[in-house]
Amino acid sequence: MPEKVCRHCLRVLEGQTCPVCGTSDLAEEWSGLVIILDTERSEIAKKLGVDIPDRFALKVR
Amino acid sequence: MSEDSQIFVIKTTANQERSVAMALARVAKKEKLDIRAILAPDELKGYVLVEAPKSGIVELAIQTIPHARAIVKGSSSISEIEHFLKPKPVVTGIKEGAIIEVTSGPFKGEKARVKRVDEGHEEITVELFDAVVPIPITIRGDTVRILKKENE
Repeated sequence: MPEKVCRHCLRVLEGQTCPVCGTSDLAEEWSGLVIILDTERSEIAKKLGVDIPDRFALKVR
Repeated sequence: MSEDSQIFVIKTTANQERSVAMALARVAKKEKLDIRAILAPDELKGYVLVEAPKSGIVELAIQTIPHARAIVKGSSSISEIEHFLKPKPVVTGIKEGAIIEVTSGPFKGEKARVKRVDEGHEEITVELFDAVVPIPITIRGDTVRILKKENE
């Protein structure tokens, strides 16, 4: 099953709803992948405003 | 310390950037390596960016990962890769009146003049040159190539 991305928080998901936002507004077309592993010390996480380690898309259509 | 975060670049097989990023995340978690973030922008073909404090950690992590070929010597700062975090809409640079060529879909190869640009939806409305009657068609902004900008 192709991975989808939550249009609100840009999280890459496998299910039909976003576990964080609770929305089912998902995009199938997305580009760029960011994997945040350490939210405390990652500069990238700070720039993106991410506080939960997860996989994110950079852009959705 | 967040100050010592650096960006290291890994060379990968083309089109395997995402699989390398995923595998790297898996290895980092399993081996408890201090890899903080992994970035695989679509614009950067054949490379994956890794945020870590030392290059040794990244070198160790990529040993067992297929398609991860080598680590590029040296490191970058966050500010150098910041632009990847905010991708521009694909229609940026396309102006009304520009002449474009459609690169995919049923009108592939056709030349057209841009009538309207919709940045929000990343779509453009064009009129084909070869059409007998000018019919505006709306196509995706990433399926065109700019032939001539507006005022040239």
